[in-house]
Amino acid sequence: MTVVEVYSDETLSCQSVSLRSPFGWVVAMICASAAPTHSVAELQQLGEAEMSEIDGAGIGLVLDNFTFSHGTDRPDSAGNQSRIFKISGIKSTDGRDVDITVNHLYIAGANTNYGENLTPVNLGRLLNPWRIDIVDGNKIGVADKAVLEFAAPSKIAPTEGFDCMGASASAGSGSCSSRPASGDWIGERADMGMQMNVAVGDDRSANLNIHARSAVLDGSYIRLWGDDQRRQMAGQFKLNFYSPELSINACAQDGLACGSRITMSDFALELAIGNSLQPVFFDVDGTGNFVLEVDAIRPPRPGQIAANGLRAGSNGQTWDFYANYYGDPEFRSNLTIGNFSVGDRDFGAARVQGMLIQHLKIQTKDLAP
Amino acid sequence: MTVCGYDLRVLLMISALWLSAVQVSAEMAPLGDEALASVSGQGGIYLSGDISINELGGPVQNSYFGRCDEADKKCGARFAYRLKEGGGWMVLDEIKGLFAFEGLTLRVKTVDSGFGGDGELFNRDVIEIGLPDSVRFTDVQFKIAASSTARPTDPGFMQTDILSVEMQGDVIMQGNLLVFPDGNP
Repeated sequence: MTVVEVYSDETLSCQSVSLRSPFGWVVAMICASAAPTHSVAELQQLGEAEMSEIDGAGIGLVLDNFTFSHGTDRPDSAGNQSRIFKISGIKSTDGRDVDITVNHLYIAGANTNYGENLTPVNLGRLLNPWRIDIVDGNKIGVADKAVLEFAAPSKIAPTEGFDCMGASASAGSGSCSSRPASGDWIGERADMGMQMNVAVGDDRSANLNIHARSAVLDGSYIRLWGDDQRRQMAGQFKLNFYSPELSINACAQDGLACGSRITMSDFALELAIGNSLQPVFFDVDGTGNFVLEVDAIRPPRPGQIAANGLRAGSNGQTWDFYANYYGDPEFRSNLTIGNFSVGDRDFGAARVQGMLIQHLKIQTKDLAP
Repeated sequence: MTVCGYDLRVLLMISALWLSAVQVSAEMAPLGDEALASVSGQGGIYLSGDISINELGGPVQNSYFGRCDEADKKCGARFAYRLKEGGGWMVLDEIKGLFAFEGLTLRVKTVDSGFGGDGELFNRDVIEIGLPDSVRFTDVQFKIAASSTARPTDPGFMQTDILSVEMQGDVIMQGNLLVFPDGNP
């Protein structure tokens, strides 16, 4: 006998199905597959008004216990390099192929001893992570635009942050949010470095080693949006790079003999290319060459600046516009090196400060015939 | 013995299979909302695999189908994007090679401790992507280029290769990538 009870809603009662006939089995299977209906029935549609109130947050990213290493080990049995990371396609002016072979590239925890002992590190803090976000342009000086932002951990108030250089800085000593490694925490500052060599034709250079200790990128970002007037992608690029020691040296191919180490201690680079008033534009021209351009600033609405340059006697709006352009430290690029030394010779400190890019145009040119 | 042209043994076997399956499903009972609310999943996925992109020209290599070393045939994938209305294209070209990895994991977990004191303040769920210890790259190549047209077969095609990258061997990639919502909506 087959009994199928059908309730007023769309579900069949699976308990009341007789299993003594083929029809009963089929119903039992349908019942099993219909089980998810219970949960689907609880989803409800959102109206337009409700939908319009929903905003998405950005995405935060943290790399926990992270180690990255790509390197060339000993050659394999055939005598070939077992690991290759090669950048090529560049030609010298006399037409010979140039290739850059990266022998070792690493990102690891503090105190790696120039890449010898790789230990894990955290990149980004849960409370101040790396971010991918769409931000409101009105809050960052790009009027009425949605801006796509990729950002490193932001800087924080100096009362809470850590000194960007100090390998043992404590809270309240600076504006970086990433913490140095301590006895009980691996920290958020990575040792990173690479070994590479360059070949032009058959001439291969010595190995060049670049290492940065306890590096911090806090406050760096890339912002991208579309420019209406030029109908083109516009952007703003800020790279902050702090390291208590950035060193470069050259070693023979077999790694046995090395030259003197060039050491830059307390290295700080704050590079700004493009800003909200003068974005950087990317383009490819009709002949297939890449163009990167920072255009001259667009003048504000006409207004006069007094001969003595003071706000009194000038058009207030125009004066404020230029005061912001010249005065905002975010628009400026800086490079400071605490001490520059080669081997055991010290050359003292070096500084490039307050550089403002007012016009820049870089265009690739194909040299191939 | 046959029934309606079918071997009876086969019919019996199928019936036995059906019966055993049906008995299991017959014991299923719907869960109420309250009961469902107390069920939490043992989340997690473990992935291993290899991804091969236009590695060597595919299963057939002859004078007609793709062979990568011939000048008029291209093997790699091409990804082109335009930066300006009416302008040229930035291109990732000739993307090919093989990536292999073992043990990529995916799960959701609550972070409420650790992280040098941040975990306790954070106290939220994150998606944790456990990176494979190593990823093997076999002849992975791509070029970064600037091109006047989207496709190499379009009229007026001109392209400047800026650089090309080739990777081979094991890359050590350890740790976890934590993904979570952040920022002000």
